[in-house]
Amino acid sequence: MLGSYPITPASDILHALSSMKRHGVTTIQAEDEIAGIGIALGASYGGAIGVTTTSGPGIALKSETIGLAVSLELPLVVVDIQRGGPSTGLPTKTEQADLLQVMFGRNGESPVPVIAAQTPADCFDAAMEAVRIATTYRTPVVLLSDGYLANGSEPWSVPGVDELPGAPVELASAPNATDDQGEPVFRPYLRDPDTLARPWAVPGTAGLEHRIGGIEKADVTGDISYDPDNHDRMVRLRQAKVDGVSVPDLEVADPSGDARVLVLGWGSTYGPIAAATRVVRNTGAAVARAHLRHLSPFPANLGEVLRRYDRVVVPEMNTGQLALLLRGTFLVDVRTYSSVRGLPFTTVELADVISSTLEEVR
Amino acid sequence: MTTTDLGMPVSGLQHVPHLPDGAAKQTKRDFTSDQEVRWCPGCGDYVILAAVQSFLPELGLKRENIVFVSGIGCSSRFPYYLDTYGMHSIHGRAPAIATGLATSRPDLSVWVVTGDGDALSIGGNHLIHALRRNVNMTILLFNNQIYGLTKGQYSPTSRVGQVTKSSPLGSVDSPFNPVSLALGAEATFVARAMESDRAELTTILKAAAQHRGTALVEIYQNCPIFNDGAFEVLKDRSQQEARIVRMRAGEAITVGAEDDRKVLVRQGSGVMKFVSEAQAETGEKGAVVVHDPALDDPSQAFQLSRLDTPEMTHVPMGIFRQVSRPTYDDLVRAQVTGAVDAAGGPAGDDDLAELLRGRDTWTVG
Ligand SMILES: Cc1ncc(C[n+]2csc(CCOP(=O)(O)OP(=O)(O)O)c2C)c(N)n1
Ligand code: SF4
Ligand SMILES: [Mg+2]
Repeated sequence: MLGSYPITPASDILHALSSMKRHGVTTIQAEDEIAGIGIALGASYGGAIGVTTTSGPGIALKSETIGLAVSLELPLVVVDIQRGGPSTGLPTKTEQADLLQVMFGRNGESPVPVIAAQTPADCFDAAMEAVRIATTYRTPVVLLSDGYLANGSEPWSVPGVDELPGAPVELASAPNATDDQGEPVFRPYLRDPDTLARPWAVPGTAGLEHRIGGIEKADVTGDISYDPDNHDRMVRLRQAKVDGVSVPDLEVADPSGDARVLVLGWGSTYGPIAAATRVVRNTGAAVARAHLRHLSPFPANLGEVLRRYDRVVVPEMNTGQLALLLRGTFLVDVRTYSSVRGLPFTTVELADVISSTLEEVR
Repeated sequence: MTTTDLGMPVSGLQHVPHLPDGAAKQTKRDFTSDQEVRWCPGCGDYVILAAVQSFLPELGLKRENIVFVSGIGCSSRFPYYLDTYGMHSIHGRAPAIATGLATSRPDLSVWVVTGDGDALSIGGNHLIHALRRNVNMTILLFNNQIYGLTKGQYSPTSRVGQVTKSSPLGSVDSPFNPVSLALGAEATFVARAMESDRAELTTILKAAAQHRGTALVEIYQNCPIFNDGAFEVLKDRSQQEARIVRMRAGEAITVGAEDDRKVLVRQGSGVMKFVSEAQAETGEKGAVVVHDPALDDPSQAFQLSRLDTPEMTHVPMGIFRQVSRPTYDDLVRAQVTGAVDAAGGPAGDDDLAELLRGRDTWTVG
């Protein structure tokens, strides 16, 4: 079920999904952004896949509810089609400046998985991936796109239905523990040892009646808890769950095998970066390229990849948000190439950046 | 009086599974959770909790199909104490969350518990939109005319002049009348009850639960810590009868004891006024108003809601409005099932493949 409030450049998703009723899709145009995500969360609580779509200003309004979903540990997909900011900014122009907002723009320690689509065609796979993570790990997931992707198009190889990854979901149906007297009981915060996900017990399931909420919960039982050690444990458990989301290793394209410079991008800069590295390689120079789809958690090999190169250049349509994360996480001196003109990078400008970086390490 | 009496055949609980015939009768205990209740001693919330726990068994529903969603506030701790499904959400947002739940799950009896600040201040937008949409849920608005949880600031229902922690010289905010507000949003079921009148509260709760659509029940609730005695004149036996206007469908609207009864009439100008029984009989002051909550036009209900003044000279209690209108969640589901049926049943792999192919596909060699 989609709960959404119209905003450029995200409204097209609301339009498209509202005409997919035949496929069992329900859309609700909410009274505001907060209601949009509240409706999605309510639907998730009831066992549906709750989705909300918006752009940066809407994310700001939805933050408190994302935090609630983090605490409730229910699946939820939050789609942010980024546009120029701050405030109303450049509503019809593209930008990648919501990365830190979706990573950290909530009160308390409130980790969520973040995925960024790379091309118009990739939006399909990225959305499937967001649903997989949300349902497997019982967590809100942010899917980032931007105005460039939203208004772009490219040929898309139509997948066969049997090639689509399923998203099998197991709802809790029976007690999962025993109490002191040996009686079967339901512990809503007893975690799966592999995924750290808690059971998803939807209303209507007999014997599993329980209460959840945004107040800190006791580990395992889910009862209200103000215990300092319990809070510390729960904060770390929620983080560990997100850190443990299975994410494929980052692949590096380095055809020559002896590149000393890596260009690392994320999101919609995929196309321009790929084109620019091609241009540079055609001059005979060696340059490696990689593109991050998973921004939280990062791929496990990311630190090692970054340290392999003399220089890492990170082109971003913001003032260096991914670079800040990489430096803070890996203590690697990545270089930002930044442009926030509301326009995608051009091949020529990125090829120049790469060439001058190659000069420096020569 | 029930919805059936009013000729509304479709119950709000129509799709909610009931206990099978011959099942063991539920009791208050079945609805009591193991959590320690954390309200201050003497808080009116205890009385409402006891009333709700005692009345829920009467619905005969499967306990697992009942959900209480609340916002934030003292009142919003309610779901923790009920052994049903429950969500204590965030400040003001419960009606939005409940809308998503009720729309996706017609088999649930969905309840919202909220306070005057939660519902009318931070959550005002969600409240009015839930009411205008007419989502199938019951909203219990605990009105203590104060922010209890945050320790005593004035709320959107506090009286002008009320001295609170944040209004040391008296509040200058003009209060909302929650019933008038709900009627303005064209709510299909609006009622008011006193926490201390268990029988009347129970009758109203039952009618509200059975109403198909959004039912708003305002419950006057005493906060002995930060706003003690806000409704004392209505509880005081010597004044009660002269002040509380008990509205009964099909009956004249009266107030006062047997020997001093006043009757509500509508004057030529349209204004409503209480006159003596003798005057009412002659009709000289206007036509006697007969209470009819089923009137489609909410004007009369609205006028009744305006009898209430900050001095609480006359306070109407009971059901102001109870009308039948299609519910939002039924309509939303009907569009989806209609589309599915029109296409010959639930989408299969072929339909999904067609959706993926879209309108602009070509084959590359
Ligand atoms: C976003 C946000 N702002 C403020 C608060 C603080 N807060 C909690 S409850 C409350 C008011 C509650 O008043 P009311 O709804 O009347 O409930 P009561 O405690 O009186 O039952 C406030 C301001 C909050 N929890 N969240
Ligand atoms: S502060 Fe008032 S409303 Fe809150 S629990 Fe105490 S008495 Fe009840
Ligand atoms: Mg209050």
